Amino acid sequence: MTSPLEARSLSLVREGNAVLDGVSFAVQQGEIFALLGGNGAGKSSTLLTFLGFLEPSGGEVLVNGASVSSDVAAARNAIAYLPEAASLYGHMNAYENLDYFLDLAGKSAGRSEIDAALERVALPPEARTRRLHSYSKGMRQKTAIALALLRETPILLLDEPTSGLDPVAIDEFHDLVKALATGGQTILMVTHDVYGACQVADRVGLIRDGKLVGSFAAEDGERIDTETVHAAFAGRGVA
Amino acid sequence: MAKSLSREIRFLSKDKGAVFWLALAFTLSVIAVSFGVSEVREQRETIATLLEEDALDRASALEGHEEWGSAAYYAFHFTYAPPSDFAFASMGQRDTAPWKHRVRMLALEGQIHEADTRNANFGLVGRFDFAFLAASVAPLLLILLLYDLRASERTARRHDLLVATAGASSRLWLPRAIVRVGALATLLLAPLWVASAIEGTGAGMSLQASAIVIGSLLVWWLIVELVSRINATPSVLLTSLIGLWLALAIVVPALSKFAIEAANPVPDGGEILLLQRETVNDAWDLPKEATMEPFVAEHPEYAAHAVIEETWAWNWYYAFQQVGDQAAAPLVQQYRDARVERDRQARLAAFISPTSFVERSFEKLAGTDALSMIAYEDAVRNFHEELRAFHYPLMFPEAPYDEALLEDLPAYTPPS
Repeated sequence: MTSPLEARSLSLVREGNAVLDGVSFAVQQGEIFALLGGNGAGKSSTLLTFLGFLEPSGGEVLVNGASVSSDVAAARNAIAYLPEAASLYGHMNAYENLDYFLDLAGKSAGRSEIDAALERVALPPEARTRRLHSYSKGMRQKTAIALALLRETPILLLDEPTSGLDPVAIDEFHDLVKALATGGQTILMVTHDVYGACQVADRVGLIRDGKLVGSFAAEDGERIDTETVHAAFAGRGVA
Repeated sequence: MAKSLSREIRFLSKDKGAVFWLALAFTLSVIAVSFGVSEVREQRETIATLLEEDALDRASALEGHEEWGSAAYYAFHFTYAPPSDFAFASMGQRDTAPWKHRVRMLALEGQIHEADTRNANFGLVGRFDFAFLAASVAPLLLILLLYDLRASERTARRHDLLVATAGASSRLWLPRAIVRVGALATLLLAPLWVASAIEGTGAGMSLQASAIVIGSLLVWWLIVELVSRINATPSVLLTSLIGLWLALAIVVPALSKFAIEAANPVPDGGEILLLQRETVNDAWDLPKEATMEPFVAEHPEYAAHAVIEETWAWNWYYAFQQVGDQAAAPLVQQYRDARVERDRQARLAAFISPTSFVERSFEKLAGTDALSMIAYEDAVRNFHEELRAFHYPLMFPEAPYDEALLEDLPAYTPPS
C-alpha cells in the first residue's frame, strides 16, 4: 500500500552544509508522525522538501507515491500546511483571510462552514470580524488551523503547531489533531516539544544533525513514554 | 484565471498602500491631462485671435499704397502650427520650438530664428503632461506597486503558506501582478480616454497611445519581475529598482543627449539671424551690383531688371533681403540637417531607454516632435516663397500698381 508521505534516503545540502543526511520514513494514512528534534536538526527542512520549497540533494520525497520533484503542484494540492507562527493578513479579519486563502487553494466555503471550523479551533465569535493585527499569537494560529481544516486535504503538515498557544489551547489542539487522524488524515508534525509529541503522535522520529537517530511507537493504545523519548532527545540513549 | 483575478481585485481593494498609489496615479493623470487640454485650448484661442487680428491688420496695412514694394513691406502674415487633437497629451517640442510667426516679405531666416529663445523656462524644467507621466512617473508607481509582492510576504513569513496553498506560484503572483498592472494602466488611461473624446482624438490614435502606455508598463513589469526574483529584503529590492529607474529614465537619456549633441553640432538660431542681418545691413553700403548679381543668379528671369540706377529702389531692397537669406542658406541647411540627424540618432537611442521611447512615441503621435516643428518651419519657408513668387513678377517689371490684385495674395496653409 502506498504511503501518503514518504522520505527515501533524503539528503539536503545547503550552502555546503549537510542539513539532512539519508533520512527515511513513511507516514501511513490516518497516522500522526512527529519529527522531534532541537533547533537546526533539520525538522522544518524535511517539511519544506515535501512542499517542494527545497530540492533534495539526494534521495527523494514522495506524496501519495509520486515524487514531489516531478509534480510539485499535485503534492501541494494534497497538503494543508501550517507553518510555525503562521502569519495571515493583519489588515483582514478571520473571514476575509479564510475566504482569500481558500480561494487561493481553489476551494470555497460558506459562512456556516467557516464558522464551524472556527468553532472547532475555539476562536471566539466576537473576534472573527476583527482584523488579525489585533489578535494574539494564539488566535492567529487558531485561524490558520481553521484554514487547514477547511481545506480538507488528505495530508496535514504542521510546523511547531502549538508554538504560542496556551496550555488549554494546546490540549484542544491535540484533541483536534487526533480527531483528524481518526478521520483518515495523514499528519506529519515537526516539533521540539517532547511532551506534546508523545501526547499526540502515533510515532515519534528523533532527528539530530540531519539524521534520523531514533524512532518510538505507541503500543497497544498506550501513549509513547515521554521519559524514554526525553532521555533520547537529551542524548542519554536511543531506543 | 477570472476567479483568481476577482480574488486579487478584492485583495487589492483592502491594501491601503496599493490603493494610495493607484489613487495618486489617477489624480496625476487627471492633472496632466487637464494641463494639456487647457494649454492646447489656450494655443487654439491665441491662433484664432491672431488670425482675426492678422486679417484686419493686413487689410488696413494694404490700403493707400502706390507701389508693390511698400504694400509688401507693410503687410504681415500670420503663420502657425495648430496643435493636433492629441497635442494635449504631449506638448513635446512645442514648448521649446516656436509654433507661430508673423512674417513679411523681408529676409525670412531672421524672422524665423529671432524667436528661438522663447519658452526657455519650459526647456529647462519640462512640462508635466501625460507623456511625461506615462514615460517617467508611471514606471515609478509600478515599481512601488510591484517591488515587494514576494519580498513583503517573505518578510511577513507568509510566503511559503501562500505558495503551498496556491499549489503553483503562477496561481498567486501572476494574477496579483496582473491586477496591479491592469489597475494602474486603467487609472492612468481613463482620463486620457475622456480627454480624447472631448478633444475629438481619433480612436486609432487613442488606441496607439494606450498600447504605448501598456507596452511601457509591461516592459517595466518585466524589469521588476526579474529584479524581484532576487532573494533580498524589500528595501534592497526597492533601492535596486529605483537605481534602475534612475539609470534608464535619467542617466541613459542624459548621456545619449550629450553624446548626440557632441557628435552633431548645431549652429544656434542667433548665428543664422546675425549672418542674415549682417548681409542685409552690409548691402546698404555695397555697390548695387554686389546685391543684384547673386539675386539674378537665383532668379535669372529678372536679369533684365537687375540694373538699378536709382539711389534707392524697392527691387534692390527686396533683392538684398533675398540675398540675406541666400547667404544664410548654407547655415540654415546645416542647422536643419543636424537637427534631423540628432532626431534620427535620438530615435535609435530611445530603444535603450523606455522613458525616452514613450516620450518620443507620444510626441510623434501628437505631432509635437522635432520633425513636426521642422515641417512647420518648412511650411513658413514655402509660404514665404509663395509671397515672393506673387510679388516679384509684379515688382521687378514695375507693373502698374493695382490694389485689386492683392486679393490674390497667397494665404498661409498650416502643415497637416
